[in-house]
This record gives sequence, structure tokens and C-alpha cells, in this order.
Amino acid sequence: MGNSILGVGVSALNAAQAGLATSGHNISNASTPGYHRQQITQSTNVPQFTGAGYIGQGVHVDTVKRAYSQFLDNQVLQAQTQSSQLDAYYAQIQQLDNILADANIGLSPALQEFFSGVNDVAADPASTPSRQSLLGGAEALVARFHALDRRFQDIRDGVNAQLASSVGVINAYAQQLAGLNNKIALAQGNGQPPNDLLDQRDQLVAELNREIRVTTVKQDDGSYSLFIGSGQALVVGDRALALAAAPALDDPQRLDVAYVTEGTQMVLPQDSLTGGNLGGLLAFRSETLDSAQNTLGRVAIGLAQTFNDQHRLGMDLNGNMGGDFFSVANPTVIPGKGNSGATASVTIGDASQLTIADYHLQYDGVNWSLFKAGTGEPVAMSGAGTAASPFSADGLSIVITNTPAAGDSFLIQPTRNGARNFDVRISDPARIAAAAPIRTTTSLGNTGSARIGAASVESAANLPLPNDITLTYDSATNQFDVSGAVPAVAPLSYSDGSTLRFNGINLVISGTPANGDQFVVSTNSDGVGDNRNALILAGLQTRNTLAGGTASYQGAYSQLVSEVGNKTREVETGAKAQESLVAQTRQTQQSLSGVNLDEEAANLLRYQQAYQAAGKLIQVADRLFNTLLSLGNG
Amino acid sequence: MRISTNTFYDLGIGGIQQQSTALLKTQQQVSTGRRMVTPADDPVAAARALDVSQSLAIGQQFDANLDSVTGSLGMEEAILTSVTTLIQDVRTTAVSAGNAALNNSDRATLATELRGRYQELLGLANSTDGNGQYLFAGYRSTTVPFVETAPGTVEYRGDQGQRLMQIGPSRQVAVGDSGAEAFMRIKSADGTSQSLFTTLNNLIVALETPAGGSTQLTGSLNAAMANLDSALDNVLTLRASVGARMREAEAMKGTNEALALQYQQTLSQLQDVDYNKAISDLSRQEMGLEAAQKSYLQVAGLTLFDYL
Repeated sequence: MGNSILGVGVSALNAAQAGLATSGHNISNASTPGYHRQQITQSTNVPQFTGAGYIGQGVHVDTVKRAYSQFLDNQVLQAQTQSSQLDAYYAQIQQLDNILADANIGLSPALQEFFSGVNDVAADPASTPSRQSLLGGAEALVARFHALDRRFQDIRDGVNAQLASSVGVINAYAQQLAGLNNKIALAQGNGQPPNDLLDQRDQLVAELNREIRVTTVKQDDGSYSLFIGSGQALVVGDRALALAAAPALDDPQRLDVAYVTEGTQMVLPQDSLTGGNLGGLLAFRSETLDSAQNTLGRVAIGLAQTFNDQHRLGMDLNGNMGGDFFSVANPTVIPGKGNSGATASVTIGDASQLTIADYHLQYDGVNWSLFKAGTGEPVAMSGAGTAASPFSADGLSIVITNTPAAGDSFLIQPTRNGARNFDVRISDPARIAAAAPIRTTTSLGNTGSARIGAASVESAANLPLPNDITLTYDSATNQFDVSGAVPAVAPLSYSDGSTLRFNGINLVISGTPANGDQFVVSTNSDGVGDNRNALILAGLQTRNTLAGGTASYQGAYSQLVSEVGNKTREVETGAKAQESLVAQTRQTQQSLSGVNLDEEAANLLRYQQAYQAAGKLIQVADRLFNTLLSLGNG
Repeated sequence: MRISTNTFYDLGIGGIQQQSTALLKTQQQVSTGRRMVTPADDPVAAARALDVSQSLAIGQQFDANLDSVTGSLGMEEAILTSVTTLIQDVRTTAVSAGNAALNNSDRATLATELRGRYQELLGLANSTDGNGQYLFAGYRSTTVPFVETAPGTVEYRGDQGQRLMQIGPSRQVAVGDSGAEAFMRIKSADGTSQSLFTTLNNLIVALETPAGGSTQLTGSLNAAMANLDSALDNVLTLRASVGARMREAEAMKGTNEALALQYQQTLSQLQDVDYNKAISDLSRQEMGLEAAQKSYLQVAGLTLFDYL
């Protein structure tokens, strides 16, 4: 009798002790990340049959159970991985957003300074100081483009570096997880769930999720298998596979995420890697950084080419035709690995047709085709690819030399380095072509009332003029006989005020000429006060010269600012919304798995009282035994 | 619903951080005076502000150009006024030379006076602006436009160009006239052009030649006066044109000023912070932050362990 009471008491004591220990464990781990509160589950011992009924035999502790819901924990993981992606994206794009509109480093003030310089030369073309100041403004504009590009490059290098370190972190977690899988499998072999190890593993999975989205599959032996991307296994049982940051297949400057399998690195399709830091970095780079740098490059190339085209139509202080004012950056061409000896040389044809995309040029054995990188959309090309008839598409001019083999491909980045390779080619103020190359004279001996207007040029092919061109009016035929033109020009019929065009020269004669009246077109020698070309150059500031004739230089740059600004706002709002989603799911998860210190305090009281009561029971059992013993005495 | 201790802390801290962030943003707006701290705050307005700034700067350029135009045209006007006076004086002298009472030496005296005026005319035609560039040389502003190659023969070495300046988005105005138009292309009786210098020289030679028959002298004087009238017409027409251009420049100045004001207002609307709203936001958010902090302290202080 006393035996079983003692046994019951001891069992109660043990149960109360286990309860106290568990409560204590909960209290000490209340703020441990990833901790799920633990509770003992107790059940009655097998009762003993007696004639008077079944006598209970006390209590035993079944197991220590952690308050874990896979569904709730998963919800938090899903929300968190998306939130980490948006946070990483926002951190990167914010840098971009701040640069573009900054008054000190943004493009607009430098662009305005430059055109002020052009206007100053138009106001006083013979003055060397105003020419010098134009060159100064041009140098400042170049420096600004370079500074902006350097910032873009810094951000790009930063993305590469963060990518590499993120991959390293993921690999470290994968190793740890594999190790834990092993320990848990061993520990579970003893029959009870190793709660703290399980908590550790879940916490590692949560931290891994902040780096990249993983899918978890629980195996029968209690281990987790983790998959990333489009189904590549990262951890299987106690084996961890690795990721690596490797140069991209088409562009060695760019680091992509690769999967290491059987000793080789296989570059993964980057858009399959979503979620977490890594997903954010990859999305930022492909959606925003590439197109922003290309857009800036396009502004530089467009400005250089259109300015040069007009500058070449002018004449400088030394009487020479204007040369290139800026240097136009050539597109970057990267041949694919494993190409045969074929080379592709790409130049800018018409800058107003350029887009902000990169291109893949591929040979299938018969034909060359052009695709937009990223979307894979095909782009039609005209021409044959030879020097005489280059391929022409989207403002590019492509010439292929040497024999290609099937599978040859090239990555073409038309505008990526547009800002970096933008430069001024003139250092001598006298070489600024402010004047027009020709001047017109109405002969003083004329008797009619007709006057010739100032001429303009649309092509420099036949300039400078080798000799004067004289137009003599023949009233019998109402035509001008043209002499001295190289190449020769047939007689031009006259109508008051209409434009006469020949050899790239446009001129207007208005009024009534008399028979034999002469008008002379000659080289603009010593015309140092002529600002006609400078006026046209200044007018380029407001003309829509880019993007197929829809945007001016400032307009194209403003579009860039607005696009990046919009995307930043979108990401910022998304990140905020996702944060509150994470907070909500975490709250729900914590309401099940979190420790409430007040509750644990009450539990302590409860188990303490149970312990005291159990102790009392043992005391009673002891007294009963003593009573039994003392029966024998006396 | 069960609330874990962690949730208490997370929510409390989260609330305080939210209030701080909002407060910091408003404080930045107030201290920089800008509504948009970064372009992301209002991307469309940020882009538009850049465009409007460019328009404003271009407008200022037009203003500077207008000042230059007014200056140049004013100088040309002054010279042409002197030329007008000169021609009128010469004409008066020519008329008085027709007086039959004068003898050869009287006419020779007049001729000497006219020689002086001839040189004066040459000087006026070769006027420079403040920077040493010739006003009447067309585009060849560093070349002397009128050169006396032989006594009595003046060649025009300039060209017939007129420099234009941009004074409005689509308006250019000529800031000068070539010497050819002002002094060389003067219609004479037979329809061809004769320069003013030639006319003057012919007059001087006629006066210096001892009068053989008075008909020859009268003929020369008449021819000279006809040409002088033509020259006077020419100069007056030119002055009218200069005057019209100066008026247009004035009008453009007014238009540009009005436009600049518009641009500045637009820019201000886009960029500047509304101080009233911002400051009231600031005090509201301060209060919010204080409330969050105080309530957090109160709630965090409650624990059952205090009572055990």
C-alpha cells in the first residue's frame, strides 16, 4: 500500500520537476530567435486492478512538445523572403535615385552650362574667351557624364560583390543545415523529438530564406531537403551542394549565380532565382541598373553624334571645315565563348533610332538573326552584313568578317559605355566651327531688285568650295546659269522666294532680277564674325533629336529620372506593405509559438504547488510506513 | 488570442520606428525647403522640374542676347545718324556750290572742306564696337571693311553677311547691316549701284576742276545731288529697319520676362514645400512619437514577476 503511494508521490514529483525545468527553459529562451515554447505532456500510469476497482498509479511525462505549426511558420517564411527581396532592391535603387536628381552630380546643370557656352559663342564668335569658355563647359559636361557613369559602375561592382558574399553565406548555411540534418536524424533515433535542434534548424532555414527563396520538403527520417530556383537541390539529407558566383555566359564582366554539380559550374537562369537578398540584387540589376546605364549612354551618344553632325557642317576660325567636336562611343561587342574566328564590328548608324536594349546576334548556320537580350524578342535587320551593305537595325550598323560557324553568337551593348567613352576632341578654341562654310553676295553691279539670302548647307561633301559659284540670271528662260560648281549644276529655274538646292547647298533668292544679274556663292574666308553654325548648334538644345524624334537631350534625361523615381517609389511602397505583412504573420505565429512571460510565471507557480503537494504526499507515505513499522513494536 | 512577450516588444518598437521615420522625413522637408527630398517622392514632378529649369535658363539666355542686340543696334543707329547728318551737310554744300557767283578758288575751298568730310565718312564706315570688331564688315568683323586703294577709290573688303541672334524660342533678329548695303549699293540714275564714296569723290573732283563750261559743272552737281538723295534714302531706310528691330527687341524683352515669371511659379509649385502644412505635420508627428514612446514604457513595465 505505502509502496504504491510512495511511487505515486515520486512520479508526481518527477512530473512537477520536469514541468518546472521546461518552464525555466521557456523563460530563459523567451527572446532566443526561432524558439518555439515547449510544454510537457503528461499522462496517467497504467492503473492497478484490485477487488475494489482500478487504483491509479500516478503520472508519467510522455514527451516535451514544442508549440509548432508548419503552416504558420511557412507563412512567415514566405512573407519574409519577399520582404528581404524588396528591401535589398530598395537599398540599391535608392542609391541610383539619389544620384540622378542631385543638383551637384545630376546631368541637367552641366548640360545647361554647356549650351550657355554655345550661346556665348553665337553672341560673339570672334572672341577667343567665349570660345575658351565653351570648351570649358564641354569639359565639365564630359566630366559629369564620366562621374555619373562611375557611380553606376560602383553600384554594379557593389552588386557583384554582394552577390558573391550572399552566395558564400548561402553555402555556409547549407553546410550547417546538412550537419544539423545528420544530428537530428541520430537524435530522433532515440524516440523523442530533439526540440532544440529542430528549433535551430528551422531558424537556419529562416535565415537562408532571407538570402534566397528555398522550398523545404520534410523526409521520413526527419531530415529536410531544400530546393532553390527551379528545383535545384541545395541540401539533401546530410549532403550540401554549393552555389558559386561565376562570370555570366555572354558577358564576363557580370557575375551570375551558378550551381556547382559534379565539379562543374552550371550558370542558372537568373530569373528563376527569386526571393531574399539574392533575388533582390538580381532583379535590381536586370530590371533597373542595366536600362538606366544604357539610357544615360544613349543620351551621351545621341548628343555626341547630333552635335558632331552639325559641327562638321561649319567652318572654324582657321577657315577649315569643322571636325568632330565630341567622340562618339562605339558599342561594346562581346564574342561568345566557343565562337569560331568570325568577328562582328558594330558602329552607331543613326543615334536617333537607338533603343536602350542589349542585343544577341546569332548565327544558325545559314542566317544571322538579332534578338533583344532579356526578352528574346527578334529584331528585323536589313542589309547583308558586309562592309558595303552592313546589317542595319535599331540605329546600329553591323559588319561581319571571316567565316562564321553555326552557333556563333555575340552580345552587343550599344549604349552601355556611352557615357564612359564620351569625350571632347577639340582643345584649340579656334577649331570651334561657329561659322557657316559659305557666304553669298549680290553683285553690286546688278540692276534688278533681287537679293540672295544667307545660304545654309546640309552636306559637307562638296565643301570647302574649290572656287566661287556664280549664278547668272537669264530672263529669256527665267533660269539661273550656274558656273563654277563642282560637280557641275544644270540651270536652275527661278521663282521668287523659293529655295534653290544643289551640291548640298540651300539658298533663297527673292525679288525681281534683271537679265544678267549675278549672285555669287563663295567660301566664307575671314568670316570670323559669322555665327550661323553656332546658332544652329545652340538650337540643338531644344530640338527633339533622340528616341526617334520624340525627346531632346534634357527630355531623355528627365525620362530616366522619372523612370528610376517611379520604380523606387514602387519598390518602397511594396517593401512597406510587405513589412506589415511580415509583422502580421509573425504575430500570428508568435501567438502560438511565442513565450509569454506572465504565462510562464503562472506555470512556475502551478508546478511549484504541484511539487509541494507531491512532497507532502511522500511525507504522508513515509508516516504510513512508520505507522506500519511501529505496529510490530509493543 | 495569445500574445507572446516578443510580440509586445516588436509591436512597440515598430510603432516608435514608424513615427520616427515619418518625423525625420518631415524635418528634412522643412530644413531643405524642398517638397521632394528624393525624386521617388514625386517622380513626375521631379522630371518636370528639370524640364522647367531648362526653359528658365534658356529664357535667361534670351535676355542676355537681347541686351547684346539692343547695344549693337544702338551703336549702329548712332553711326547712321552721324552719316545722315554728314550726307545732309554735303548736300547743302553741293547746293551752295551751284551758286554762279563762286569762282574756282571758292569752289576749291569747298572741295577741301568736302575732302575732310570724305575722310570723316571713311572713319564712320570703319567704326568698331567696344571689342575692336568692325560694325559694317559683315561677317569679316576683324578685317577693315573700307580701304582707299587709290586716292578717290574705296574698295569694300567686307562681305554681305548679317549676324543673327536668338531672342526668343523661334525668333532671330539681325544685329547689324553689311557695309555693302549701307554705303556701296546706292542706286544711281542708270539703274546700277554707285558707292557713296564714289559719289562724294566725283563731287570733289568736279569742284576742283576749273570750270570750263558751266554746263559740265552743273551736270556734275546735279548728278551728285541725285546720288546724294539716293544715298540719304538708303540710310534713312536702314535706320527705319534698325528702329523696327530695336522695338521688336523691347517687346520680346517684355514677353520673356512674363514667361520667366510663369516658369518660376511653376517651378516653385513643383518643388517648394508648403511650410504651413509641413510644420503642422511636424508637430503632429512629434506628438505621435512621444505618445508611442510613453505608451511603450507603460506596457513594457507590466509583468507578473513583480508580484511573485
